[in-house]
Amino acid sequence: MNTNPLCLVVDDSRVIRRLAADILKGLGLRTAEAEHGLAAVEFCRATTPHLVLLDWNMPEMDGITCLRALRAMDLHPRPWVVMCTTESGLSKIREALEAGADEYIMKPYDREVLLDKLVQVGLAERA
Amino acid sequence: MDDLLREFLAETAENLAVLDVELVRFERETSDATILSNIFRLMHTIKGTCGFLGLPRLGAVAHAGENILGKFRDGELDVTPRAVTLILKAIDQIRALLAEMETTGSEPAGSDEDLIGEINALAGDSAAPTEIPTIFAPPDFSDAGFPVAAELLVEVAYALKHDVHIASEIEVAPEPVAPAFAAAVPRDSETKEPATASSSIRVNVEVIENLMTLISELVLTRNQLLQMQRGQKDNEFKVPLQRLSHITSDLQDGVTRMRMQPIGNAWNKLPRIVRDLTVATGKKIELTMQGAETELDRQVLEMIKDPLTHMVRNSADHGIEDGARRLAAGKPETGTIALDAYHESGHIFIRIADDGRGLDLDRIRQKAVANGLTTEAVIATMSEQQILQFIFRPGFSTAEKVTSVSGRGVGMDVVRTNIERIGGTIELSSVAGRGTTFLIKIPLTLAIVSALIVEAAGQRFAIPQLNVVELVGVSDRSGARIETINTSPVLRLRDRLLPLVSLRGILGLEPGGRAHDRFVIVTQVGANTFGIIVDRVFDTEEIVVKPVAPLLRGTRFYVGNTILGDGSVIMILDPNGLSSAAGQIATADSDSAQGKAGVAADSEQSSFLLFRAGGRELKAIPLELVSRIEGLNAATIEHVGGRQVVQYREHLMPLVPFDANHQWKESGLQEILVFSDNGRCMGLAVDEVVDIVRDRMAIELSSARPGLLGSAIIAGKAVDVVDVGHFLTQAFADWFEITAMHGTARHALLVDDSPFFRNLVAPLLTSANWKVTTAADGVEALKLREHGHRFDVIISDIEMPNMDGLTLANAIRSDARWSQVLLIALSSHAGESDIHAGRNAGFDEYLAKSDQTHLPENLARAIRAAKARGEANDNLRKAS
Repeated sequence: MNTNPLCLVVDDSRVIRRLAADILKGLGLRTAEAEHGLAAVEFCRATTPHLVLLDWNMPEMDGITCLRALRAMDLHPRPWVVMCTTESGLSKIREALEAGADEYIMKPYDREVLLDKLVQVGLAERA
Repeated sequence: MDDLLREFLAETAENLAVLDVELVRFERETSDATILSNIFRLMHTIKGTCGFLGLPRLGAVAHAGENILGKFRDGELDVTPRAVTLILKAIDQIRALLAEMETTGSEPAGSDEDLIGEINALAGDSAAPTEIPTIFAPPDFSDAGFPVAAELLVEVAYALKHDVHIASEIEVAPEPVAPAFAAAVPRDSETKEPATASSSIRVNVEVIENLMTLISELVLTRNQLLQMQRGQKDNEFKVPLQRLSHITSDLQDGVTRMRMQPIGNAWNKLPRIVRDLTVATGKKIELTMQGAETELDRQVLEMIKDPLTHMVRNSADHGIEDGARRLAAGKPETGTIALDAYHESGHIFIRIADDGRGLDLDRIRQKAVANGLTTEAVIATMSEQQILQFIFRPGFSTAEKVTSVSGRGVGMDVVRTNIERIGGTIELSSVAGRGTTFLIKIPLTLAIVSALIVEAAGQRFAIPQLNVVELVGVSDRSGARIETINTSPVLRLRDRLLPLVSLRGILGLEPGGRAHDRFVIVTQVGANTFGIIVDRVFDTEEIVVKPVAPLLRGTRFYVGNTILGDGSVIMILDPNGLSSAAGQIATADSDSAQGKAGVAADSEQSSFLLFRAGGRELKAIPLELVSRIEGLNAATIEHVGGRQVVQYREHLMPLVPFDANHQWKESGLQEILVFSDNGRCMGLAVDEVVDIVRDRMAIELSSARPGLLGSAIIAGKAVDVVDVGHFLTQAFADWFEITAMHGTARHALLVDDSPFFRNLVAPLLTSANWKVTTAADGVEALKLREHGHRFDVIISDIEMPNMDGLTLANAIRSDARWSQVLLIALSSHAGESDIHAGRNAGFDEYLAKSDQTHLPENLARAIRAAKARGEANDNLRKAS
């Protein structure tokens, strides 16, 4: 049984989901994918991920609503949520942090950025 | 190409398709915030993904589009057609770049500054940067309540000011990252964690195609096993084999269903096309789509995509009038093009209907003549429906001018060819001022079809089961015989003469062999029915259609080949090709000039039997009326009380001479034309049967001479047209009375523009105890209403000058005076769409003209059926 940390990638773009999953796997994490907020919430009802990479603009349920829903679920252990978006407005960032985001990174991100986040929260180590 | 890039191309193409549709919707409902946010998000996703993959050029175009959409969203910019057009232009540019990437695998060099500049100019900020991400206002640090946010903002702002592509995290010094890193990330071949909350998965088309090929092979192997088992007695293999057979069928169904795609996929582009057209032409057009979820095989889908697009474009460009003209015609300013798809009996039906001006018959006439497709003289005799068919002919285009949207060199002939190539048909109806409707019927799948396996000259062939109507065994001993009329083989089948093609003859196989026991495969292609003569018939098999080898593509008789259960490779016949050959044979011996026209439009013509009797002049009789042509031994004719009878198929058949002064021979051969109806036969004695020709009915009436309707030019020869009714009543005074319904004469109104047809039908009705009044068109008929005439039944043609049958029916139904009359349509075109249109207009029954022999009977039946329905309705009303 693979006990590596599980990361849920939430993005409506297949390309970005796959890209993020590829990076995360390369860093030794297990990954799961959800194509919008609603799917992410569904997923978390069954399985609590260690980390959630959350896009903002998505159909069905956007990232901020999803974030609030996840925090309202009071999951254990509390997953780290990183908002990943091109929404660069100050008010947006504030809104996300208020809603319970742990980190806020801008798209496009890359391996380095993700690795730093993971190291910071103790889900990965720098080689 | 990199997998990720391929994925990106696929995803972006999907997004663009949705964008097209949504934008057109949005333009109409600019207040709908949901649509707008959806559009914004899609454009945003494209832009965002470009950033990841290091596609700056593409990203810049998407960014410009997103910029303008954002202004819509924030209410900073009004939604104008120009703005939408610019966004659509951006989408087109993205699409063009994607197409190039598809072939080269990398983003093409170059710049789209012009387009982006234009977009930004409209957005009102020419200075807006096109790089990603946008610079925002300096952050406000006054709010100390959010230290993390504040730190983040410093970092983000720093990164942005230094024009770094990636905003990094606090502790990490921002450093540029090679944008193309994504392509270099090694792909993990481990299976992914399952995606959540998703009931469908994406499968590569290739995988499904491979599966389909494997299933095809499995079907062949199954057939092979069944073939081996067929010759055996029951043994232990039988039951498992049956199971295998069923499972294979189910599997085949399953995979076929996997290949199914909603027809909406082929419709995606249409709203955009119509939208562009409305902008270009200033017309107002609404496109409605119903049944977009109707599924069909993706191979079929691919093949009808272009024809559909072409037809919708035609409707929008030529069919729908401009607003002013529509208003002047009393129609709503906005025209409608309605697409409708539904499944029925193993076929998918697609209807494309517009409420525009309808096809311009005069223009079609002129064009057809100008383009040398026909002559003035010929076209003058044609019905509206026949004239409409010219738009399907190669070298014909109704476009008055080449506009930016139509006139791409694809005509309706290509549309029809494409549809027929996949075993489909297309029907057309058009009412001047009311609109045009196309009805397309196509099979659901092409890959595996049911086929009848036949043999000719020792070779086996497959005929698609869809086209097979029935099998007729013919031999000298059985009732059905192949007759030869002037070298053309025909089969008399239930009072209908069927043109035949011999597979041996047409494919150049050696003649001879088993000539006595043969089979005729009655085959239908569109409205054409003909017979194929074969030597043997095996059974039906599911066959896998393999495309025909290039070497054989020149012949029009094959659609492909297949491998049978026993492993042999056989050819699949093309009923379309064979049908045209049947048409040619029927006209092969007629005058060459007329014959040529005959082949081109044989479905619009009638066959005539030419004969001589009582003189050298040729006589003609519509072939449909003749049951059989017999050469009787004159010695067998009995003369009883001045009348002649002969033993014919265990009955006494009365003979009537065509010429009253006919000299009955003592011996030798007497040519007889046999007419039959309701089990009774009568023979018309003639001197000589000359020929069977196909031609249009163009009859000029002569002064009333008993037995003749008039004269006509048929196949370039002057002939007298025979009135069959005259001779039928000579043989049996009560010939038509069996079909009479009541003792008292009832009154019928017969509306038909063809004097020939009026003269053919009126006597039939009269002899069936009807009182008959005739009118040449709808206008004349309505005049009778004004004069206070009343009728029990009105029988009307559909295609007529001045006022056609549909308009007449509408007029009758909308006025109290005749609203209760029984209304029966009698038309030479009785396709599904015709019948539907007729019913809609108010006809109670719809009869085909081609079946003239049974007309009185059919009329009686139609009247009974209509009355029964009427009474049922009355009862319902009383009951409720």
